Amino acid sequence: MSDSPVLDDRKKKQRYEALVDELYQDVYRYAYWLCKQAPLAQDLVQETFLRAWRSFDSLQNDKAAKAWLFTILRRENARLYERYRPDLVDIEDQSIADSDFNEPDEKLDRRQLHEAIASLDKDYREPLLLQVIGGFSGKEIAEILNLNNNTVMTRLFRARSKLKHIFVASSDTKPKGTGDDTQ
Amino acid sequence: MDDLEFRKRVLENPSEIADDVLSIAQGNSERLQFIAEAKAMEERIHNTAMSVSAPESLAQQLKALSERPIELTSTEKPSIRRYFAIAASMVVAVAITASVGLFNQQPSAADIQLRDDVIRHVYREAPRYESNLQDMDWQEVNKVVAEAGGHLIEGQSIKTMHVKFANGCRIGLDRRGAHIVLEGTQGAVSVFMVKHSPVKKAMSVDDPRFSGKIIPFGEGNLIFVGEKQEPLETYEALITQSFEWEI
Repeated sequence: MSDSPVLDDRKKKQRYEALVDELYQDVYRYAYWLCKQAPLAQDLVQETFLRAWRSFDSLQNDKAAKAWLFTILRRENARLYERYRPDLVDIEDQSIADSDFNEPDEKLDRRQLHEAIASLDKDYREPLLLQVIGGFSGKEIAEILNLNNNTVMTRLFRARSKLKHIFVASSDTKPKGTGDDTQ
Repeated sequence: MDDLEFRKRVLENPSEIADDVLSIAQGNSERLQFIAEAKAMEERIHNTAMSVSAPESLAQQLKALSERPIELTSTEKPSIRRYFAIAASMVVAVAITASVGLFNQQPSAADIQLRDDVIRHVYREAPRYESNLQDMDWQEVNKVVAEAGGHLIEGQSIKTMHVKFANGCRIGLDRRGAHIVLEGTQGAVSVFMVKHSPVKKAMSVDDPRFSGKIIPFGEGNLIFVGEKQEPLETYEALITQSFEWEI
């Protein structure tokens, strides 16, 4: 068989479509958390995949596809939207799927946590979401964000510390219902 | 390992706590509790982050991008060239102002961004409606228009139009707009209703393939884009007479 790096169009298209199926949800999630608005996130993902398709031949290893797409997405976000958009948390327009949790308390918790994540400074939010959504290691996150590994780990620690602080503080102010006061 | 170092190592990634960190927590109830709380919190963070889900149609739209002819995808330039292009189009716009009188002041950055978004959107969406042959039901069309905050009055004249496509869109500053596609004499004619930030003055939308205009209309904009030779005035007259923003 040929080892030619040049794929025929059909094979290339199939490979691209498989990539879309596998990664579009995570790329959308990351886009959403990056720009915090569903319509913008959708546009951002389209731009990202358009760019990816146009330079698809440069993707030599499919295992690197996720980091590659996330990197394109960050760049597109900076290029297209960061300068035009006020930094708002459009919590009412969120795309949270809520069919998988029914308890009112759980819904409230998730909403509070959603707001808490969205309110994190971008320096902390980005590495956290790259780890949680992308499943990237500290080293991979460092490469995507162009930071050193120690900085990434410190930001991850601070991101979670801040979330804990915000979440605990907001939980203390909410009415107690079916509490888990087991101690 | 002091307490701060221990907490840092746990919170760096509670899903994959290193063995040396776990081992020094053994027998220390406070540290074990900290790990348990961190893991519980991490599960909530994970569930919250992953609860965001993409619209169902997105995968198909992304796959459709690979159907676009390469010359269309290459109309979008790398960033620096893009801003040069915007600057160049501003110069052209000023020149047209002098000769045609359509503009009498320079468009703002937001107006230029809107115009840029319109062209980008038309190219991106074209594969979705180019093969549509049947007219859409007026109720469906008006539903889309209503979601964008407007209303089409169904008079006889407007019903002469053949609407091939109607969908929500995001043009400009984040708000949901309506994108309807009419059958023109030269091909598809896109009409956008976007209820925010009217442009300062009517402005043209020019591109190697398409031409059109953005017209400030009440609280928002009406935008018409068609192939170069399309007589857009006809559609502009029909829509402006039949369209109103909901209060």
